[in-house]
Amino acid sequence: MSENKILLNSVPVDEVKEAIEKIENAVTSRINATPDNADHGLAQLVLTLIELIRKLVEKQAIRRVEGGSLSEEEIERLGETLMKLENKMEELKKIFNLTDEDLNLNLGPLGDLM
Amino acid sequence: MEKIIYAIIANKGNPPQVNEIAQNIRGITGSNLYALNFENISVAVSDIPASKFIVSKELALDFARVIEELSQQSTLLPIRFGTVVKSDEIIIQLITDNYTPFLNNLAKVENKHEFGMKVIWDYDKCSEKIRAKVESEEYTISSFSSKSTIHTNYLLEKVKKHRLEDALLKHVEQLIEEITWHLTQINPEGKFKKMLSKSIILDGVFLIEKTKKDEFIRAIEALKLLHDDLNFLITGPWPPYSFVEIAIDKD
Repeated sequence: MSENKILLNSVPVDEVKEAIEKIENAVTSRINATPDNADHGLAQLVLTLIELIRKLVEKQAIRRVEGGSLSEEEIERLGETLMKLENKMEELKKIFNLTDEDLNLNLGPLGDLM
Repeated sequence: MEKIIYAIIANKGNPPQVNEIAQNIRGITGSNLYALNFENISVAVSDIPASKFIVSKELALDFARVIEELSQQSTLLPIRFGTVVKSDEIIIQLITDNYTPFLNNLAKVENKHEFGMKVIWDYDKCSEKIRAKVESEEYTISSFSSKSTIHTNYLLEKVKKHRLEDALLKHVEQLIEEITWHLTQINPEGKFKKMLSKSIILDGVFLIEKTKKDEFIRAIEALKLLHDDLNFLITGPWPPYSFVEIAIDKD
């Protein structure tokens, strides 16, 4: 962005640049599958979908806890399940060398997947 | 030879004037810019061999430069970078088929500029304040379970995090209301994206009358005085990139 387009700025330009670059990196993330790395691309796609479902399950669980409809035992069991799911996802991300940013997709006008 | 389209321009019944404006601006890759005219609408285009059109950041910036130069001398609707068609006839057909929506959009952006606004905060500092407020709520998460096991605590931590995110979002929504209120006199059309990242809590664009630019900046400066913890980045004027709403009829 040319400096003459900045009309008001109360934050150091470097900080703004850094913040915008972070977003650009996230926005440009794509499933990058080629004949050479098809396995990795497929793993990224599958793990992205699993992560989406995991987060939906987590949201639903939070809603149920907040709704007050769960007993202490149910909260305990749900906590255990969600914790194991998250740990398993961490393991899989390590195996396929993927980060949280890799498991998000830009859906154009719909915004980010997660 | 393919044609790249830059912008739809209101010629106000004076196509020769738009021809002249176009001829004095260099197109991308050094091409000659020219205008195609149909009634009250002109289109800025230049020739580009498909083989030369290799998408790059430099080319996109040069494309934006052409639109910027055109917008300084006319009312226009910017066209998406990379819109390449096979002939002038196709472009004329495009204008003919979409004449009324183009005219309506041109009327909407007449004498107006787009301005961008990013609101940035120190996430750790600000979220800490909101966290303290959330945790002081009477209805605390400990009321959901008296157990203190690793699994129960894990889930209750998730609930706490969820509440914090909700509270942050509410805070941003209140800020949007406040900004809108501060800009009432200027009456801009505004669009917002919330929580773009941890630090950029608001990314807004405004369509504002050209004469109200200084008034807009003053209003944001006044807002900044009320919010020590927020930083504002205002950019512009830009061509109306975010305010063109046309579903192109391709038939």
